[in-house]
Amino acid sequence: MTDIAAAPPSTVGTASHWLKKHAFSSLPASIATVLFFALLLYIAYLVFDWAVIGAVWSAENADQCPTAHGACWSVIDARYRLILFGLYPYDLHWRSTLACVAIILTVILSCIPLFWSLKRLALLWVVGFGAYYLLMEGGPIGLQEVTTDQWGGLSLTLFLFSSVVLIGMPMGLGLALARRSKLPVISYGVSILIDFIRSLPLLTTLFTAAVVVPILLPDWLHGDKIWRVIIAFALFFACYQAEVFRGGFQAIPRGQFEAGQALGLHFWQILGRIVLPQVFRHSLPGTINMVVVTFKETAIVIIIGFFEILASANAAFGTGEWAPYYIEVYVFVGLIYWIFIFSLSQYGEYLKRRMSVAKR
Amino acid sequence: MTKTLKSLLAVMACAAFVPSALAAESATIKMIEERGTMLCSGHNGSYFGFVEVNDKNEWRGLDIDLCRAMTTAILGDPNKVQIVPLSWAQRFPALQSGDVDIIIKATGWTMGRDTELGLQFSLPYFFGGTQLMAHSDLGITQATQLEGGTICVEAGTTIERIVADYLKTLGVEHTMISYEKAAELRAAYLANRCDAFAGWGPNLAVLRATEIDNPDQHIILEDQLSSEPISAAMRQGDEDFVDFTNWMLAALLLAEEHGVTMANVEEMAANPPNPTVARLLGSTPGIGERLGLRETWAREMIAAVGNFAEIYDRNLGKDSPYKLERGLNNLWSHGGVLYAPILD
Repeated sequence: MTDIAAAPPSTVGTASHWLKKHAFSSLPASIATVLFFALLLYIAYLVFDWAVIGAVWSAENADQCPTAHGACWSVIDARYRLILFGLYPYDLHWRSTLACVAIILTVILSCIPLFWSLKRLALLWVVGFGAYYLLMEGGPIGLQEVTTDQWGGLSLTLFLFSSVVLIGMPMGLGLALARRSKLPVISYGVSILIDFIRSLPLLTTLFTAAVVVPILLPDWLHGDKIWRVIIAFALFFACYQAEVFRGGFQAIPRGQFEAGQALGLHFWQILGRIVLPQVFRHSLPGTINMVVVTFKETAIVIIIGFFEILASANAAFGTGEWAPYYIEVYVFVGLIYWIFIFSLSQYGEYLKRRMSVAKR
Repeated sequence: MTKTLKSLLAVMACAAFVPSALAAESATIKMIEERGTMLCSGHNGSYFGFVEVNDKNEWRGLDIDLCRAMTTAILGDPNKVQIVPLSWAQRFPALQSGDVDIIIKATGWTMGRDTELGLQFSLPYFFGGTQLMAHSDLGITQATQLEGGTICVEAGTTIERIVADYLKTLGVEHTMISYEKAAELRAAYLANRCDAFAGWGPNLAVLRATEIDNPDQHIILEDQLSSEPISAAMRQGDEDFVDFTNWMLAALLLAEEHGVTMANVEEMAANPPNPTVARLLGSTPGIGERLGLRETWAREMIAAVGNFAEIYDRNLGKDSPYKLERGLNNLWSHGGVLYAPILD
């Protein structure tokens, strides 16, 4: 608790008090406030006029687009399925939709404290992820098979993101633990690996996995391109995440291990019950940051020929009919990104509040 | 004719056919037949007129139609093609590693690619070069009139160098501004930040036709700064596959030349108007056997995708939003530079 004497004076007051104090304290301040709000309103009006008033909404009215003064949302109406599902066969979009719902549900459920045990989380992810994969691929459950090179759009972006985080997070924890190992072979080996991968650009890593590996390795070691890329991406994620966890480990006083040992707990008990919960709390902001960055970085796979959401957006305005309306498509994709990333960071805030309970 | 003479003739005929029968053993075609699908290059997004995606999430475009033509010729069904999305940077490694069987993706035939990269190219099926587009209110028609003007280009492309070389040769003083992204470049030109805009001819025409509210306000200058032959690229070491690709393209051009279309192909096959059409459509045997394929491959191919003119008009020409003139890409007999080798 801060010293009461140093605390700011009472902030109790009405909105008009606040306004008077902060916005209209003097004549120049009042003028600046009015001008600024006028400008803000004007910009808001321009955006509203473009996006709503002057806009054309449906694909049937696309012929009005060239003369309309606002946005042409017809392009979204006509092409949203391309943006969401990429090259997935048109008649099977229900499968892609269900798969997206499955993965989003899995992510939402695993954010709920009820599922926070290793067993429950593992079960949830095996089920959610399995459902996604089986729905998309279709072969093993007797549906028409759709190979991974036809996956695309938002559903591919979500798949890449969740598998990279899902594989990368435990891998990062493993690397962080190995780096703290008392055996020099392991700790030095892992340090070299982490520093090596961190000094390569992500693009190079992915390009190697997608394009160079099949040239170097024999056929039977290739595997599917999408899995090669996911594993390379997860390794990249893990190396950064390991450093985030390392920061968390360093915040924990050595004495806690010793106290644990003195109580007769063995290594895994100390780790699981005492150290890791604190490590997670300390490394939470960094982890949320990594997750958000990874969500956005999935767009880089466009360079190795994956049809993720930005590539399918590009294809959506990439025909003669829709070429002039690329701004509308980018706004739409931007909104999708914003919804996911905003939710992620809000969830991070919630976690921070929840975890700070332990400190009180 | 006596029996002996007949068998002698048969032996001679066989002997004559042995080399061609051997020549038809293309490893790539065999692989495609075993797999049952043909792997062809797509794009990570859209490349106007050549590779794009329609409202039903299916690929379409000039290059896609050539892939479908090829698939029909080999496997008898245009839907057995599998289009693998590839970026520009990835296309050649993907070909070498076997991710695709062929690259048909607005790819220029250059010496470096032909030699150092270990590729082989088909006959060119398209010619496109660097050209300049300018605002028509400047009242210019040629690059020499750009004296003192500002020219916008995409950064890091061959176009930048070609424009600089060309204007230097002409002795035209100019300022060059390069932009990282095509969309930025477009916006800069439309906002009058530059007098002229350099780009690949077909792209300029597409842009003029679609992105700009009033096409008449822009003029594509007469100068042809460069001309790039666009060919299909294949792996080195399978000459028979190159032969096949060349004859596939030749068949599409021959069909156009002799008026064989998607609609009348069966009729033409039943009553061929001349010996070339008879050979082309397999009414007179030879075209299939010599490539190790069905005698009717060209007939099936034309029935599925049409002749070269139909493919062009559908994707770039008069039936497409782009309305791009055939120009150089017409048959030699109509003032273009496309021609088919002789079908004997």
